[in-house]
Amino acid sequence: MKGLFFSGLLALLSTPFATASTPHEDVLQLAASGNGLIKLNAQTYELLTSPKRTWSASIQFTAMDAKRKCAPCAQFDPQWKAVAKSWRGVPVKQRDEHFFATVDFDDAPTIFQKLGLASAPIVFNYPAAAGERKPASGKTGPIKYDFGDGFDAGPLAEVISKFTPIPVPYKEPIDWTKASLAIVAIPAVLLLLRYLGPVVQNRWVWAVGTILTSLVMTSGYMFVRIRAAPWNGGGGNWIAAGHQNQYGQEVQVIAFIYGLLSFSFLMLIMVVPYQKSPSRQRIQIYLWTGVIMIMYSVLVSIFRVKNRGYPFKLWL
Amino acid sequence: MSTAYAVPTDLPPSTVKNAASLLRIVALSLISGAAIASRLFAVINFESIIHEFDPWFNYRATRVLAAKGFYEFWNWFDPTAWYPLGRVVGGTVYPGLMATSGVIYNILHAINLPVDIRNICVLLAPGFSALTAWSTYMFTKEMKDPSAGLLAAAFIGIAPGYISRSVAGSYDNEAIAIFLLMFTFYCWIKALKQGSALFGTIAAVFYFYMVAAWGGYVFITNMIPLHALVLVLMGRFSDRLYVAYSSWYAIGTLASMQVPFVGFQPVSTSEHMGALGVFGLLQIVAFGQLVRSHVSSQQFQKLLQVSVVVIGLLGAFAFAFLTYNGKIAPWTGRFYSLWDTGYAKKYIPIIASVSEHQPTAWPSFFMDLQFLIFAFPAGVILCFRELRDEHLFVIIYAVMASYFAGVMVRLMLTLTPVVCVASAIALSNLLDTYIDPTEPTPVEDDTKSESEASTVGTNGSNAPAAQAPSGKKIKKAAAAVNVSGSALSDFVAATKATESGSKVKKGIFGLDVRAVVVFNTIGLLAFFVLHCTWTTAMAYSSPSVVLASSGPDGSQHIIDDFREAYYWLRQNTAEDAVVMSWWDYGYQIAGMADRPTLVDNNTWNNTHIATVGKAMSSSEENAYPILRKHDVEYILVIFGGLIGYSGDDINKFLWMVRIAQGVWPDEIQESNYFTNTGEYRVDDRASKTMKESLMYKMSYYRFADLFGGGQGTDRVRQQSLPKVGPTLDYLDEAFTSENWIVRIYQVKKEDPLGRDLKSANAFSEGKKRKRGKPTSRRRALVQ
Repeated sequence: MKGLFFSGLLALLSTPFATASTPHEDVLQLAASGNGLIKLNAQTYELLTSPKRTWSASIQFTAMDAKRKCAPCAQFDPQWKAVAKSWRGVPVKQRDEHFFATVDFDDAPTIFQKLGLASAPIVFNYPAAAGERKPASGKTGPIKYDFGDGFDAGPLAEVISKFTPIPVPYKEPIDWTKASLAIVAIPAVLLLLRYLGPVVQNRWVWAVGTILTSLVMTSGYMFVRIRAAPWNGGGGNWIAAGHQNQYGQEVQVIAFIYGLLSFSFLMLIMVVPYQKSPSRQRIQIYLWTGVIMIMYSVLVSIFRVKNRGYPFKLWL
Repeated sequence: MSTAYAVPTDLPPSTVKNAASLLRIVALSLISGAAIASRLFAVINFESIIHEFDPWFNYRATRVLAAKGFYEFWNWFDPTAWYPLGRVVGGTVYPGLMATSGVIYNILHAINLPVDIRNICVLLAPGFSALTAWSTYMFTKEMKDPSAGLLAAAFIGIAPGYISRSVAGSYDNEAIAIFLLMFTFYCWIKALKQGSALFGTIAAVFYFYMVAAWGGYVFITNMIPLHALVLVLMGRFSDRLYVAYSSWYAIGTLASMQVPFVGFQPVSTSEHMGALGVFGLLQIVAFGQLVRSHVSSQQFQKLLQVSVVVIGLLGAFAFAFLTYNGKIAPWTGRFYSLWDTGYAKKYIPIIASVSEHQPTAWPSFFMDLQFLIFAFPAGVILCFRELRDEHLFVIIYAVMASYFAGVMVRLMLTLTPVVCVASAIALSNLLDTYIDPTEPTPVEDDTKSESEASTVGTNGSNAPAAQAPSGKKIKKAAAAVNVSGSALSDFVAATKATESGSKVKKGIFGLDVRAVVVFNTIGLLAFFVLHCTWTTAMAYSSPSVVLASSGPDGSQHIIDDFREAYYWLRQNTAEDAVVMSWWDYGYQIAGMADRPTLVDNNTWNNTHIATVGKAMSSSEENAYPILRKHDVEYILVIFGGLIGYSGDDINKFLWMVRIAQGVWPDEIQESNYFTNTGEYRVDDRASKTMKESLMYKMSYYRFADLFGGGQGTDRVRQQSLPKVGPTLDYLDEAFTSENWIVRIYQVKKEDPLGRDLKSANAFSEGKKRKRGKPTSRRRALVQ
């Protein structure tokens, strides 16, 4: 009770024109002045998260100042603002029950210390602590948002919707460049198809497509995509350690080696027999056999780096 | 005709033919022998034991089938699984595997060979691998010729990608499924080639067997329609296709609906809609063809074409409408996550948590397929060169399977057959070219038969008939002018060869180059055999129930903690004592300890699994009511920290947390189990929630005592543990196995005086309760 009075007093001090107003009205005014997104300092933070709050709030803890060098903060901030902005669109009655706020480290380092936060960005959702919107479980402590799905606004809005009186009406903005490209592309493809008919019907076009797909897939492309593996390890290190792991660059190298080996086989099977000069044929056969030996040795030696226990080696 | 080396010319053709067929039979039986033998490492190194997790359930079900007969098995309700819900086993299982073993068991007993059912189960997979080799031989024979077939059979016999799922003791559905897959495909190709309803029906029967045996039957359900669809789109519709597809689809679908677990899915889920749609499309196209052949009017044909398109569109719209209305179930999560790869992690963490559902990094491909992985694109290109109807099948199969294998490690199994087939085609072509003793004729004399060749060549640009392989004189040509030395132009010339009219004899000059290529190929094959043997012995033959470690002097030490603990449970606990563990160990507990379990590897009830996850990740006070409400008497955890067994529960713990969070997001949060800096730690810096969780306490309870006051080290996570370990108030340590891998705890009953167990413990230890605490902390924990 004392704390509430105290924080109310502080809020009063900070907003001298709001005389004898309830804490909720103070917060409303803060929200109005911030255009839906409250920028908090130490005092207003206490007001917004007061233990007697009848409203709920979502607060972003960030460090936008350039000297903090927080790249994820800069990445997340627009997403946060987009969600906060979408909340302004809901009817006033529900809108006033939930607030979006931002605490910047340089405005209020004490809050970060108090909450023991060592990293940013962080989002806390504060459920209502009093009144009829108090959760049935009685847990009114802040709940941290899990960035497991990345910084995208979509999942964020979905999670915040659990704390708001009505779901956050966030919609993915339409990507106009993509949409217009698609609109242009469809007729263009149809038009091209008239001229590209022979190409589409050519089996070797399909053969190249098929082979490229297989090569890329068997070189672990899907692993890199699904796990979002980095391109390389930095410092010229492009082979990830371990049998169950790989970098993006490995896909290219391995696919190239596989492709070259396949190509050598094909040359030996499909092309060399048609060579009509014996000496030239002999050179080609030795050449492609040599390529197979060398590239295979390279492949095995790369594999030995990945799998240290592998006992076999070829020429290399 | 000049030859590179002397060949006997006075042999009658029948002798050659008979010798070749004898050699084929000998080779196939040797391949079968090698396939079976290489799968026996596990039995020789360890013993005749069922491996891993799922096989334990299959084994248990097979024992019921063998002991009580098929009807009992069919109506089997298992009250000990998913306690207290139970499981209707007969209706939730693919019975093909158990039925197969049951039939073999009964036949052997009928002829007075009293073989133990366990040995049948253990040796079923190696036995079927021999059949797989044979069916791959038949399949490849249809693609090229018997010599390619023998190579393919040898490859699939020893390729680690298939061995990994079919070593002796790996008694799982895949053990028989790959044989069924390849044989169904073979019958389909045969039916398509001959337009044979008989082979179509055989394909349907084996498809039914496959449906009864493995959930992966959906792969066939979509591969065959896809093949048919591509044929139709390429304008290769024929009566043969119509007969083959219709007989396969009609009989196969009706038969597959007899499996209770499948039921009406073939007409009500999206996975099966492609097959139905192609069936409808074929009827429309066939009808169109029929009418066209009877009607001459131009306008009518136009009308017909339009109506075919309109009917097709209407069908597609009807499908979309029914899906939208929920009449047709959308793709199930497991299949959907193959396309939208982020889907499973977000919505069905149970699927994402399974290690064999992880994406595949390239070393796994190389490990499982070795040189086949780069010989196979060459084989696919050779399929493109001929491009008969059946070659399209291999091409489509190659693309689909390599995508699926990239998304999920376990689907490497479906990629392996096509890789073996395609690389066998490539290698067989290579050997054909370089063993063939015929030397090409000199350059100048090949202008006279040009007209003859051009009449063949004009038979449509893609006409496969144009290249009817007439033994050693395949008349395909490179444009003679183009042979200018550059390799690339050579390649282009060769690929154009089928279309251009001019011809030269192809062939290899001289003996030395033949020797080089053949020697190199034999080297590749020998290396492959070494690689397969090593991989099978080292990586794929561990039963994972019994572990082996080798000492510094190379001596083998067997770690048998699992069976030790399960037999302890079997002999020291009441028969109806409920054992809680993470779901990985459910089947093993049921199979080896014969005790009721809360959850097992048949992950059908997410909430129940999440309940266990919640109990494991909550603090003792919060977990105790959950345990009591589920009648849990024993809790079993796997702990590898002492001997460095990395597949333990602490490493799986985050998945338990995630799955629990999916159901109770406000009680369990993953981030609470990390340190402030976002690390997953078990030492002093571990988060408070982590240290209080039941899993942490059970894993490290009394662990510090082992080190006699010194600093304890967790050898899996390489972290030093706090000197004072966790204490337990609600559980008693009941059993810890020799190497501490399995730890079993008994759940205490409520305090007889009605205190909560924490204060009861404190009282008995002589600690005085602090003043100011509420005097009565009685509460009813179990109503």
